[in-house]
This record gives sequence, structure tokens and C-alpha cells, in this order.
Amino acid sequence: MPNAVELSGLTKAYGALLAVDHISFRVPEGEIFGFLGPNGAGKTTTIRMLTGLVTPTEGTAKIFGLDIQNEAKEAKRCMGIVWEESNVYPELSAWENLAFAGEIYHVAKKRRETRAHELLEMFGLLARKEDKVGGFSKGMKRRVAISMALINSPRLLFLDEPTSGLDVQSNMMIRDVIRNENRKGTTVFLTTHNIEEANQMCDRVAIINRGKIVAIDSPENLRKTIKSAQSIEVSFYGTGEPSEGELRMIQSVSRVISSGGKFRLFTDDPPVALEGLWDYARKRGLRIMGVNTLGPTLEEVYVSLTSSAEVGRRS
Amino acid sequence: MDQCARRLMFLEELEAAWAIAKKDIKIYYLKAPTLMFAILFPFAMFFAFAVGREVPLNTLIPGLVSITVFFSASSIGPSALPLERRIKAYDRLVSAPISPYTVIIGKVLSGAIFGLIIGSLILAASLPIFGMQLSNLLGLLLGLVLASLCFSMLGIMLAMLPRENPGDVMLLLNFIRLPLIFISGIFIKVDALPYWGQAVSAFSPLTYANDLMRLAFEGTSAFSPLLSTAVLVGFSAAFLYVGRRIDMRTRG
Ligand SMILES: Nc1ncnc2c1ncn2[C@@H]1O[C@H](COP(=O)(O)OP(=O)(O)OP(=O)(O)O)[C@@H](O)[C@H]1O
Ligand SMILES: [Mg+2]
Repeated sequence: MPNAVELSGLTKAYGALLAVDHISFRVPEGEIFGFLGPNGAGKTTTIRMLTGLVTPTEGTAKIFGLDIQNEAKEAKRCMGIVWEESNVYPELSAWENLAFAGEIYHVAKKRRETRAHELLEMFGLLARKEDKVGGFSKGMKRRVAISMALINSPRLLFLDEPTSGLDVQSNMMIRDVIRNENRKGTTVFLTTHNIEEANQMCDRVAIINRGKIVAIDSPENLRKTIKSAQSIEVSFYGTGEPSEGELRMIQSVSRVISSGGKFRLFTDDPPVALEGLWDYARKRGLRIMGVNTLGPTLEEVYVSLTSSAEVGRRS
Repeated sequence: MDQCARRLMFLEELEAAWAIAKKDIKIYYLKAPTLMFAILFPFAMFFAFAVGREVPLNTLIPGLVSITVFFSASSIGPSALPLERRIKAYDRLVSAPISPYTVIIGKVLSGAIFGLIIGSLILAASLPIFGMQLSNLLGLLLGLVLASLCFSMLGIMLAMLPRENPGDVMLLLNFIRLPLIFISGIFIKVDALPYWGQAVSAFSPLTYANDLMRLAFEGTSAFSPLLSTAVLVGFSAAFLYVGRRIDMRTRG
């Protein structure tokens, strides 16, 4: 499968500041890719380069193999973009906004109208389609902006903080639509400050800090990078009495702490430890009452990566 | 690329340009600042400098039509583009799969159509009121259309400066527009100007637009209509080129 996005050595300098500093990675087609990083890390600048709004100082970016600088028009045709601000036209109705987006993306009239109808329905805005967007709430404007990005049924969808500052209902609706489009084959490239959102939605995430990629992997694997912090909490009932020493012998378990009738097993590989735990319980005639895997959260990984990189940069 | 694909692409660009123009028409034509600069302003100038003086109607009416077209066509760009930039909707145009020229052409069309409409209204009103006769229809059509395009392009060119406040661009535009009124034969015929004034007037597109308009009303003109046409087309092309350069330079 082709890569939806492929950047190599992509760099943007604003004077002496390297807003984006020689970043290279690929996003395969079909993925939901999350781009995380603190304020000012360079997320928006990266998206602006990938969408042809800003010319890179150095490096190249390809969209489905098309160079965004030299084959701009063909590359742009494959994309839908949701900007950080909901840049809808307040003077136009929801319907007119969508029609306009369709027109400048060369979507034929028939197709445009069916699609606009479908999108407004998905976002629960059909009843308000003739109303001027200026009177819409923040969440409604964002939904219109996302609909505008989807009007051309893009193969690749960019979203810059699509859910920031919105209520739970709007967020759920937006996430559902994004997942839905992804299921239908759209590659999604999104930035977010909501780590739980990235954890739930993204196949892979990249963490960017001060213009540099500090980690890129699946949320699962990223969590594993802080090995020592992973543990399994287990409690038993039954006739036998488990012992700390025996539990310590289970494969991949490095340390055991017992307290309040519960045992906490530290491991660098929770699935393996869990299997061992199951075997152990069966052999000893113990029944497992409850088990909990406690991992480092993606948030812990994020904080550790973005703060350590900051220290590294200063030295 | 074969002929057919090329024609298709051209049509696509044209459609996109028209979509941009249509949207601007819907949004900006009826905004108060647009209307003020486009209509009130030229009328104020007209009453301040022309009425009451011994200026023949034959000079007065073409002059009024010229300056209303001049002001209205050039006002749309400076009032629309900075606002679009402020709400970041301009980013959508830049990242759409269309040529940067298509964006400019779309904007030029919206300004030019505005100029045409306002100019035609003034014309339609003043013909019966002052009992004027048209003596050269071709001159009128050429004058109206070319002036609208050229002055709209002037406004768009300035609006390509990366400003988010319409007032900034309007200020600069007026800095150019106001002096041009006095050296372009609107209230004072060019041949009545001192020598330096005549020299400067040759560099004002308004001179040629107004000359075409006088041809339409009086049947005589200082320059050949062919020359005026060529000069107005030349100015439009130059504004387009400079506008695109500004756009390229100032984008991050
Ligand atoms: N046009 C510009 N001119 C100068 N500096 C800029 C420009 N655009 C961005 N920067 C700088 O580049 C850096 C990265 O900004 P960017 O907007 O990409 O961050 P971000 O990761 O999107 O942050 P946020 O989470 O706040 O949206 C910042 O230091 C910013 O000040
Ligand atoms: Mg940002």
C-alpha cells in the first residue's frame, strides 16, 4: 500500500527558530495517525507544510507519492483539511458553506449536494442547514468546518485539534464521524492535546517536542517504553494460600508486593506475566477474583518524553 | 497531457474562480463599509468638486460614471480579503486544489462585477435625469468593462498585502485613489492641466478609462480607443503580476 504521507527532513525555520526541525516519518494509507506535542512544538506548522500553505525551508513532503511543492494541485485534491480555527464563513448558511467547499474542490453538483446532505445529517445539522453559520455555537461551527473538509470524500484527512474546547457530545460525534470515515478507507492525520483521545483513536502516534520527533509508535508500544512502571494487580480466593516467593517465579515478573490481600506483580511484559499467573493459579487450585493491569498511561509516557527532551536540549 | 484533459482542467479552474466570485458577491456587496466607499465616496467627491462650477454636463457625467466605477470596483478586494485572512478562510483558498491565479481571478471578478453594476446604475439614472445621449456604445462597453476589471485588480493587488484589517488596505488604496481623481481628467480636462500634470496623468489608468467614457458620451476622445484599451489591459496585467508576487513573497 502506498504511504498517505511521507516526509523526509522536513524543516521550517522562522528566523533563528526551527519551528520544525528535520522530521521524517511515514503514515501508511488507512491509518489514524496522532500528532502530539506541547504548545508551540510545531504541530500546526507541520500540517501547514503538508497541506501546501507554507513552503518548507528544507526537506520534502509527499502525499500519496505526490510532492506537495511540485505536484501541489494533484496532492491537494486528495486532502480534506480541518484547521485549528473553524474558518467557516459566518455570513453564509451551513449549506452555502458546504457548497462553496465542494465547488473549490471540483466536486460535481449532484455529488456535492448528496454529500452535503449526508454530512449535515451525520452531524445533526440538517434542520439548521439554511441558517447563517455566524449564529452557530462553537461546536456547531466545528462540525460545519469538518463537513467542509469531508465534502470531497478525501483519501487523507488532516485535523488540527478537532475536538479542543468542545463539549462531550460534540466530541463524541466528531470522533464517531472520524472513525467512520476511517473505516471507509480515509487516512486520518490529527493533532490533539487530549492524550486519552489519541490513545483511544490512533493506530500510531508521534510525539513532537520543540520541532523534533521524540517518539513514534502505537500507543500500546509507547506505554511499554516505560517498562518498570507496568504491573498487574491480582486478588485470589480459594483454599490454597499464594505466596510472594512463588509469584516471583512467574516468567517476566521482577518484583512482587502484597498488601491488603492483593498482590502487585511488576513486569515488563504484562501478557506473558498474565499467562504465567493463570497457570500458577490453576496448579495451586486458586481462583482469581480480580485482575487489573496497571500501566504507565500514555500521559506518563508523554510527560516523560516531552520533559526529558527539553532538558536534553538545554544541556 | 492531451487536449481534452487540458480543457477540462481549464474549465475546473474557471468554475472555481466563479465560485469564489459568487461567494464574495453574497458576502461583501451589501456590507456597510463597501457601500460607503463604493458609492457615497465618489458622490461626495463629485458634489464637492464638480457641482456648482462651470463644468459642462458632457464632462460631468462621464466623470461621475468613471469615478464610481473606479471606487466601487477597487473597494471589494480591500474589504473582503483582509477579513477572510482574519478568520483564516483565506487558508482554505490557498490549500484548495486550484491555481493561485484562480483565487485572484475569482476575487477580481467579484470586484469588477460590483463596479459594472454600480457604474451601470449611475449611468441608467443619469441618462434620463440629465437628458444625455450616448454617442458611442462600443466606447461605453469597453470603458465600463475594462475599467471595472482594471480597478478591481488594483484593489486586489493591494489586498494581497498580508493585512487582517480592511482599514489598513483601504488607507493605502485611498492614498493612491484620491490623487488620481485630480490628474485623470475627471473634473479638469487633461489638456487644461499644467505640463507636469499632463505628464503624470499619462500614468493613471483612470485617465484612459475616463477617456473611453467621454468617447461614449461626447463621441470624441483624446486618445484612440485602441490605445486606451491596450493601456487598461496592460495595467491590469501588471497589477495581476505584482499582486501575485506580493502573495508569494509574504506567504510563510
Ligand atoms: N508565521 C510564523 N512566524 C513566526 N513564527 C512562527 C510562525 N508560525 C509558527 N511560528 C512558531 O513556530 C513554533 C511552532 O508553532 P506551531 O503553531 O506549529 O505549534 P503547535 O505545535 O501547533 O502549538 P499549539 O499546540 O499551541 O497549537 C512556535 O514557536 C511558533 O511561535
Ligand atoms: Mg497548533
